[in-house]
Amino acid sequence: MDCISTPVATADTRPRLTARLAALPRGDASLFRLLFGAALLALALGLAGGFVTALARARALNLFGDDAYRVLTLHGVSVFFYWLYLIQAALLLVLAAAENGRGLALRPLAWLGAALMLAGFAASEWISAIGTPLLYDGSPELAVDDPRSVGVFALGYLLLSAGLAAAAVSGIATLLQPRRRGEAEAFSAIGFALFAWAGFLIVSAIAATNAFLPGLLWALGAGPFPADHGTEWHILFHNLHYLPLMATVLVWYVLTQHLTGVTSIHGARLSKIVFAAYLVFVPPTSLYHMFLEPNLSESVRVVGSLLSLFVSVPTLAAFAIIVSSLEASARARGATGLFGWMKGLPWRNPAMANMGWAVVNMLVGITFAFVLIQEKLAPMLSDTFFVPGYFHFFAVGVLTQTFLAALMVILPALGGGALWRPDLLRRMPALVTLGLLIFGTAGIAAGVMGVPRRVFDVGYGGMAPAAWPVLMALVGVGATLFAVALSVSVYGVVRTLLSRRAPATAESRRVDWTDGQRGVGAVPAWTGPLSVAVLIATMYVATIVAFEIIQSLPIVAIGGGHGH
Amino acid sequence: MSERHVTTRRGFIAALGFSAVSLYGAWAAYGAAPLPFGGHKGAAASEPDAHDGHGGGHGGHGAAEAPAEPAGHAGHGAAAGMTPEEFRSAHDAFVERFTQKDGSADPHAAVEAHAHGGHGHAGAGHDHASMGAAMVAAAEPVDVYLMAQKFAYSPDVLRLKAGQPYRFRMMADDITHGASIQLGSASRIIRLRPNVVTEQTITFTKPGAYLVYCTVYCGPAHDAMQGRIVVG
Ligand code: HEM
Ligand SMILES: [Cu+2]
Repeated sequence: MDCISTPVATADTRPRLTARLAALPRGDASLFRLLFGAALLALALGLAGGFVTALARARALNLFGDDAYRVLTLHGVSVFFYWLYLIQAALLLVLAAAENGRGLALRPLAWLGAALMLAGFAASEWISAIGTPLLYDGSPELAVDDPRSVGVFALGYLLLSAGLAAAAVSGIATLLQPRRRGEAEAFSAIGFALFAWAGFLIVSAIAATNAFLPGLLWALGAGPFPADHGTEWHILFHNLHYLPLMATVLVWYVLTQHLTGVTSIHGARLSKIVFAAYLVFVPPTSLYHMFLEPNLSESVRVVGSLLSLFVSVPTLAAFAIIVSSLEASARARGATGLFGWMKGLPWRNPAMANMGWAVVNMLVGITFAFVLIQEKLAPMLSDTFFVPGYFHFFAVGVLTQTFLAALMVILPALGGGALWRPDLLRRMPALVTLGLLIFGTAGIAAGVMGVPRRVFDVGYGGMAPAAWPVLMALVGVGATLFAVALSVSVYGVVRTLLSRRAPATAESRRVDWTDGQRGVGAVPAWTGPLSVAVLIATMYVATIVAFEIIQSLPIVAIGGGHGH
Repeated sequence: MSERHVTTRRGFIAALGFSAVSLYGAWAAYGAAPLPFGGHKGAAASEPDAHDGHGGGHGGHGAAEAPAEPAGHAGHGAAAGMTPEEFRSAHDAFVERFTQKDGSADPHAAVEAHAHGGHGHAGAGHDHASMGAAMVAAAEPVDVYLMAQKFAYSPDVLRLKAGQPYRFRMMADDITHGASIQLGSASRIIRLRPNVVTEQTITFTKPGAYLVYCTVYCGPAHDAMQGRIVVG
C-alpha cells in the first residue's frame, strides 16, 4: 500500500483516467453530462450577475435598492451554491465511477439526487429573481413580511442539500463496490479522498437542513420565526467554503497524475492523512467568522484566532506533496534549474494552465485570509470590501479555474468532441489572474479604508473619503478583465460539452514522468519550500501593515466586538 | 528513504503543511496572542524589532490603553447586564435629555446644564477632561446610547470631546445592523444584533467629523443608513 521506500515513483497500473471515463456506461455518461451542463449554466448566470454587480459597485452602472441587491443575490446564489455544489456532485460521481471502473452503484439514487438539485436550482433562481432580495445567506429577518420569499428560498437550498446527500450516498456506494466484491483491498489515495469528501458533503447537507428547514416551516405557518438563523448559517457557511477547497486539492491530484503520470512520491498513506486532515482541521477553525458577534467573549475570540492558524494545514501539505512529487520526478528525468524543471510541464494544455494558475491564486488568497483570522484585526476588516476582495482569489482563481480544468479533461473523454480551441483557452488563466490581482488589490485597499461590502452607493452624502470611488473603479476594471477571460474559458468548455464531433484521436498534450532514470528525490526540490517561505514572508508583511494601521487610528476602544 | 534529500522527505513535507502557524510570531509581537507557553516564546522573540517598533512608535497610545483596561471592566459585549427594555428606556431618556436645537445629541452640553441630573456616575469632572491621550485612563467614561434601526441611527449626530472616554451602549432595534466609524485611513466596525446590548468604551484621540455607516445589509435603503460623530 505504501511506496515510501521505493526509489522511483510507482506508476498507476490502471488505464489512464480518460480511457476509464470513455469506458463508462452510456447511462452514467448522460447523467454526468446533465450535471456538468447544469453546473455550467449556474456558473454562466453567476458570472453575468457578478459582472453587473462589479459594474454597479464601480458606479459604471446605476443600480440601486432592490434591483442591485437582487443581482447580488443572483450572483451569490448561482455561483456559491449552484455552481460550486452541482460541479462538486458531478465530479464526485464521475471520479467515483472512474475509480470503480464499472460505473455508478445505486444509479437511481444518483438520478434522484440530480433531479432534486435541479429542482432546487430552479426554485432558488426563480425566487431570487422575483422575491425580496435575501442575498445568498437567505436571512429570514430581511423578509419578515414576505414569508413566500423566505420559504421558497429555503426550499431551494433544502432540495439542493437533499439532492447532494443522495448523490453523495451513490458516490460512496460506488467507491465501496470494488471492496465489497473483493476486487480491491484498500482505497487508493484518490478513492479515500473521494470517500472523505462524500462524507463531508453529507454532513454539510445536514447542516444546511438545520439552517434552512426552520425558515420553510415558518413560511408554511408550521413553526416559529427562525431567529437563530445567523448562528446556524455560520456553522454551515464555514463548511461550505472548505468543501470546494478539498475538492480542488483532490482534482489537483487527479489532474497531476493524468497530465504527467506522477503520483505522490511520499506514499498513499500521507495523502490519505492529508485528506482526513480536512475533517480534523476545518470544523474547529470556524470561529473567525464570528469575531464581530457581540455575544462572543474575548477569550473565545483569542482561542478562535489561534485555532484558525491551523486552517491551511491540509491545503499547504497537499501543495507540498504535489509540488515535491512533480519536481523530484522531473529532476529524476534530468530536469535542471531551480524553477526551470517546471518548463517541462505540459503548459500548452489548457487544463495544466488553469491548474497552475490556480495554485498561484491559492498562495495569494491564503496570504490575505490569514490577515482576517486575527481577531484584533476583525473590527477593521470584517464586513468591508476586503472580504470579497480577497476571497475571489479563491472563488474564481482557485476553485472555478480548477473545476474548469477538470472539465477540460473529462468532457472530451465522456464522448463530447475535442476541446474547443486549446491554444486560446490556455492563455485565459493568466488574464484571469491579472484581473483578479487588480480587483483584489484595489478591493483589499478599499476594504482597509472602510468601503463596506454589499453597499452600492458609497458616497454617504459626500462624507466618504475621496479615495473610495477611485479604488472601486479599479475594482470594476479588474472585474471586467477577469469576467471576460473567464467567460472565454466557460464558453470553450460549454462548446466542448455540446460538441458532437467524434472524439479527437490525439489527446491534449501531456508529459510522462512516470518513472525516473535516477532515484526520485535524491536531489533537492526547493520549489515547494521556497514558495511557502515567500508565502509566510508576505503574510508577515500583510499582518504587520494591518496592525500598524489599526494602531494608528485616532480611537481607543475597549470591550464589545473587540478588545485590547 | 535514506537516499532522499531532506526537501523530499515526508517529515519535511508535513512540516511545510504547518508552516503558516508561524504567523503566531507576528501576532505575539503585537500583543495579539498570549505568550504563556515556553515552546512558543522563541517564535515571538524572533520578532523583537516589530515589538519595539510598536512600543516606541505608539508609546503614548499603548500607555493610554493599558491603564484604561480596568475602566472598561464592564465592557464585555452582550454581558453588559442591560436588558433590551432597559436599553430602550435609557436610550429614550438620553435622546430626550441631550438633543440640541440642531438635532444633534451632546451629552456634555446638557450635563453642564443639569449637573448630576440622573446620570450621576457620568457627571463628575469629565468636562475638565484633557485632550491628551494620557488622561484617558483618568477620566470617568461618559455614557452614550446609540440605537440602530431601519434605516437610521438614533441619535444620528453625536457631539463628543477628544480624549474623553465614552461608554457606548449600542443595540439594534429591529434586525441586524452594523456601525462602522470611518477614521480616515481605516474604519472600526461594530456588529449590532437585535436586542443584544453591546458595550464598548471608546475614546477619540483627535477632533474631527467621523462618518458612521451601516455594514450589514438590512434592506433597500441600507446604503443610506448613516450618522455622524463630531469630536471637538
Ligand atoms: C465574472 C466573475 C465575477 C465577478 C465580476 C464577481 C464580482 C463580485 C463582486 C463585485 C462582489 C461584491 C459585491 C459586494 O459585496 O458588494 C461579489 C460577491 C461575491 N462573489 Fe463574485 N464575482 C465573480 C465570480 C464569482 C465566482 C465564480 C464566485 C464563486 C464561485 C463568486 C462568489 C461570490 C460571493 C460568494 C460573493 C458574496 C455575495 C454577497 O456578499 O452576498 N464570485 N462578486
Ligand atoms: Cu442597517
